[in-house]
Amino acid sequence: MRERNLMLLHYITGLGILLFGAIHVWTLFFTYPLQETIWETTLRFDSLPYAVLPVYRNILFAASLFGLLLCTTIHAMNGIRAVIAELIGARIRWVEAVLVAVGVFLVVYGTRTILIANNLLV
Amino acid sequence: MSRSEYRSTVLQSLKTMLIAGKYGLERWSYVLQRISGVVVALYFIAHVLETGNFIGGITVWSVPDYSFAEKAYEETVKLLKNPLFDVGLAVVGFLVTFHTINGIRLILAHFGFFLGKPRRPEPFEPPVSFSTRQRALFWLSISLAVFALLYALDSLMRVFRT
Repeated sequence: MRERNLMLLHYITGLGILLFGAIHVWTLFFTYPLQETIWETTLRFDSLPYAVLPVYRNILFAASLFGLLLCTTIHAMNGIRAVIAELIGARIRWVEAVLVAVGVFLVVYGTRTILIANNLLV
Repeated sequence: MSRSEYRSTVLQSLKTMLIAGKYGLERWSYVLQRISGVVVALYFIAHVLETGNFIGGITVWSVPDYSFAEKAYEETVKLLKNPLFDVGLAVVGFLVTFHTINGIRLILAHFGFFLGKPRRPEPFEPPVSFSTRQRALFWLSISLAVFALLYALDSLMRVFRT
């Protein structure tokens, strides 16, 4: 892909992270009772109303997590590529291949986590 | 180019990239943007692996027993519930917030907002790319990042509450 299109993609995925990441951070950090720490409430495994699994069970939250995974992977891999290209002064083919492979692995592995947590029932 | 020459060239350019020196605040924002980006990218990779552990790790590819997943979750949380990781998470919160607001500033600058009308540059004048509003956005990113750091420390470790 051309540098110009990659940077446009970088900006678009960045704004996507802003949207989905806001939802993600909101469900984690801004929905717990103030007397407790995040470990005591939001990071419990499974109990209503605040815990990890209920977020994954909700199909809309799960979809937003998938969007976050996709946007962040593209943004992170392209960001590392850009930093390396700035350091070396040229784009290196095998570095980009490695980054694409890592990105594909992250998306597959993360999607697996989201799907399993979405379907995990008592 | 030999291997050692190549290595010293890369080290030299790393030094040039990361030490802004006297080149001003905009250059320092560039440095912080690169560092925060790379650190958060590494955190993201670790985060995907770690949330994968919540339901049993890389060997699990179909929906497991509920009790198995619960046990795997409790074990991972026991590992992660550590003041060092909490401080690390707060630092990541600082870096993410800075990277977000500074990234918005960069997008705006890249598409020509907040830069003033185009004109002929005078010699020795400061760059127009870091206008007053751009500088305000930079300091906004720093202050929101500090707020995020303190908020995360408080919600993870109860620093400011008793």
